[in-house]
Amino acid sequence: MPGIDECLLQAMRLPGARGAALVDWTSGLALGTVGDAPAGDHETSAAEAAELARLAAEHGAFTADDADADAEHPPVEDVIVSNRTSYHLLRFVDTGFDSSVFLHLWLSRAEGNLALARIRLGEMAERLVLG
Amino acid sequence: MTVATAEPPRLPVRDRAVAVERAWGGLSPMLTRLAAEKATGVLVREHGTLHLADGQVVHAESPLAPGLEILLTAHGTLSTETWRQAAQRAEDRRGAAHLLLAAGRLAEGTLQLCHLVALYDAAYFVLAPSSTPGRFRYGAVHRPGALRPVAVAALERETVRRRDLLHRIWPDPRLDSAPLVRTDTVCPPRLTVRRQTLLDRVNGTRTATDLARALGRQAFHTLVDVRRLAAAGLVAPQGPPPPPPDPPQPPPRLPSADTRTTPAADPPAVTTDPHITLLKRLRDALEAL
Repeated sequence: MPGIDECLLQAMRLPGARGAALVDWTSGLALGTVGDAPAGDHETSAAEAAELARLAAEHGAFTADDADADAEHPPVEDVIVSNRTSYHLLRFVDTGFDSSVFLHLWLSRAEGNLALARIRLGEMAERLVLG
Repeated sequence: MTVATAEPPRLPVRDRAVAVERAWGGLSPMLTRLAAEKATGVLVREHGTLHLADGQVVHAESPLAPGLEILLTAHGTLSTETWRQAAQRAEDRRGAAHLLLAAGRLAEGTLQLCHLVALYDAAYFVLAPSSTPGRFRYGAVHRPGALRPVAVAALERETVRRRDLLHRIWPDPRLDSAPLVRTDTVCPPRLTVRRQTLLDRVNGTRTATDLARALGRQAFHTLVDVRRLAAAGLVAPQGPPPPPPDPPQPPPRLPSADTRTTPAADPPAVTTDPHITLLKRLRDALEAL
């Protein structure tokens, strides 16, 4: 059963991974971090990523059709941002208790494989809370 | 007539680095000192307790924030019965959590996560400004194996950041502690299910932290939701607005059914500059949307 740190270290083993963090999107708090931070320091990166995640999760345009009926689960699975040099992958974690956390993986565009990373990060998010 | 040519003495300038450091002592100078001396024991403050081991915070409890067991049982992560049985066999909450971890009823990630969010949640209230001095009891603190301690500086920084976050959403601190009432608004925005559930339970007697406990939600998250609802014009704190110079009066809106909050309210005669205040509040509200 992986804890927070093991989960983040696993994410860092993905090809092209530059940094990873577990972030609470209501408060913008980084609950765990590993590797480099895209905005220079992990606290700023977490606060900025949290703002993006919150917009996706709280606006009806991005949430699942059954989000209203199924309020116990995160309304969004991933948020993906790409730029000229890197990818950002935010994966919402379904913790089972009241929380609003996501895994944030920062990938180098040259070495990273976005499709693979998305699948793997989803599995890691599940294992983190299911054991 | 001669003009004085000698330059007036320079005004003292605060050294920024020192000022920042000092400011960190401002949340709780006692806590900063305890962290520096790597103390082990329990800090008791007005709104709760912080458990320290070697100067790091390993646990926090506050009557205003739901603890680990409420968070874990409220949404079916664990059944209340399972928790009760574990709690009977263990000496405290963390002991119970570890029994459940060992028995495979709880994933390590879930426990770490829940413990961390509960710690930051409770610490937010413990570190709130208090009217009574804190006390520290030196002594052994059960050090949890799988759970991560939090550095005092990180906890204080996060608490300050959280206060700032609430202020930016809607600058009315009464929403954190006063009973909440619903208010009418011309065109209510579409709410998330989460906020709608919260709004449905606002009844004029419950406070934000009561609602958090009733719903099994983190208290700080509920404060954030309440401030966003207030910014949308859907809830307001019960009771008369406090006197100036900090008049957090509700923004102009249509007369609502809630007349108790405005008992023949004459606007305060002396205000600093109502326009500036109003504009700032309007800007904050717009930014929060």
